[in-house]
Amino acid sequence: MSLRRLGALFRRVVQEIRRDRPSLALLFIAPILVIGLLTFILREGVTPTVDAVLVNEAGVPGDVIAEALGNALEEEDGSLSEVSDKAAAEAAVRDGGASIAILLPEDLATPGSPPTVTLITNGLDLSGEANQIAALQKALVASIADAAGMHLPTVEHETVYGTPSDDPMTNFAPAIVGFFTYFFVYLLTGVSFLRERTGGTLERLMATPVTRGEVVIGYTLGFVLFAILQVAILMTWVLGEVDVPALGPMSAFSLGLGVVTAGSPLLAFAVVVVLALGAVSLGIFLSTFARTELQIIQFIPLVLVPQFLLSGVLFPVSSLPEIIQPLVKLMPLNYAVDGLRQVFVRGADLGVPELQLDLLVLAGVAVFFATIASFTIRRDVA
Amino acid sequence: MSSAAPAIRAVGLAKRFGPIQAVDHVTFDLAPGRIYGLLGPNGSGKTTLIRLLTGLARPTAGHAEVLGARMPSRANLARIGYMTQSDGIYPALTVMENARFFAAAYGVRGTDAVREALEVVELADRAGSVTGTLSGGQRRRLSLACALTHRPPALFLDEPTVGIDPLLRVQFWGYFRALAEAGTTILVSSHVMDEADRCDELMFIRSGRVIARGSGAEVRAQAGTEDLEQAFLKLGGEADVTR
Repeated sequence: MSLRRLGALFRRVVQEIRRDRPSLALLFIAPILVIGLLTFILREGVTPTVDAVLVNEAGVPGDVIAEALGNALEEEDGSLSEVSDKAAAEAAVRDGGASIAILLPEDLATPGSPPTVTLITNGLDLSGEANQIAALQKALVASIADAAGMHLPTVEHETVYGTPSDDPMTNFAPAIVGFFTYFFVYLLTGVSFLRERTGGTLERLMATPVTRGEVVIGYTLGFVLFAILQVAILMTWVLGEVDVPALGPMSAFSLGLGVVTAGSPLLAFAVVVVLALGAVSLGIFLSTFARTELQIIQFIPLVLVPQFLLSGVLFPVSSLPEIIQPLVKLMPLNYAVDGLRQVFVRGADLGVPELQLDLLVLAGVAVFFATIASFTIRRDVA
Repeated sequence: MSSAAPAIRAVGLAKRFGPIQAVDHVTFDLAPGRIYGLLGPNGSGKTTLIRLLTGLARPTAGHAEVLGARMPSRANLARIGYMTQSDGIYPALTVMENARFFAAAYGVRGTDAVREALEVVELADRAGSVTGTLSGGQRRRLSLACALTHRPPALFLDEPTVGIDPLLRVQFWGYFRALAEAGTTILVSSHVMDEADRCDELMFIRSGRVIARGSGAEVRAQAGTEDLEQAFLKLGGEADVTR
């Protein structure tokens, strides 16, 4: 292993990316924009107002509930009006006069088996309608309890680690920082190394005394430098919050997302850098199987999307079907997401065994892919 | 031919890709300080033979020696220059950065040899230009310079004059002659027969076999023809030579 050659390879990668402005934008600006947008959507997303129509077949008990429900919906800027029958309710939902219809059954107040209240939506936006149904169910339960002269208990949530927060980014930010770093570093390395293979430079490089190990390490050092810069900028963006005072016609605003971390940002930084090491090796390895840059992108649904779905970025790992739970253990991103949450939420330091395991697995994955990546270079040479 | 120890040797060198015998048990010695032309149509095995000689491909039989060392030898690669058929340079880097990178890969210290290589190919005044902005001919010249930064005693040039204009081609052969006179052994592949007379010696290759060898005059005499193209057709026994 020659330090001089390693230095030359490292410098070469840095020089190349430094002049590649679209790649720099992809590395540094794209994640900031996407995470910023995501944060805005999650934090500032509006709860849809419920404009309901009600069919009351229950008589007086239904009237009591309808009144309470109407008051509850009006408090949230919604509305409730009564219609004569189910057909009229469906028509109101169909023509957009109401977003949801409620059918109170005849046996609403009859002792015995619990009654069934039917809710009707138009079915065109199931996920949006689910929010309305949830809001309505909550209001309905409160109204029934109210009508029955009961008081629903107030639920308080406490946690062993961290503080329960209504900021969705507290849980989401660690995962998304890990994912974006993995995604962009993989993409850039894969495309860049494919150019080496198809542009004849790798062939030429292999006709010099440079070893394949030096190529992989030199590449890794070059790309990890940019990954480090990317993570530093991302972390500053996610964790920082600077209030910019009003200046002239410009009103005051905050810069940075201000996500709260319980642990050391430096440790979180280290977790992402180890993850990026693996992403470089993965990019080099997969470039063997691609002939064009488009094919590197085609690997994304095969390699990155399953990791996105199975690593707790969007869906908690505990909520995944039992049959695919073992697969989670094979996803490098899972260990990064877990490690980052250990630091962000639990405030873990290096003494925490779970974090140690995450770092160890990520480092092992990086070494594993670096080794197999080096075997994809100069395959035909002794 | 010189009586000095051969600079490049092939001993029963063969390479098979599945059913295709790309190089078919080739044996030859090449003396130092001379220009050897490896001539043959596309697909005749020229590039594979060069890859075997430089140690980039593993032979299925036989072996190659360059400058007295059996290939593949990583240490020996520091004494071998290789210009690939494609430019094999980095378009985002400047001319100087490309040349310095390959020099460092060969273990060259300092910038004197790099400047000298750029001067040989007359690109010293474009040292700061980004390679992607150069013309095709300038990129070929830089590609050659990158193979020269370590002043290699053995130089393999795979179709170096493909796609370049006649004026630059004349310049290239001027560079090659100057290098050979300074002691460099050059093996240059081409499928352009009118370049053959610029070589000291020719090897005609067809279907992985050397079908004729000698100076241009010797090959013509051997075939009993007036020009090399006719000689190749006659010796090769077929009529699909690419010009």
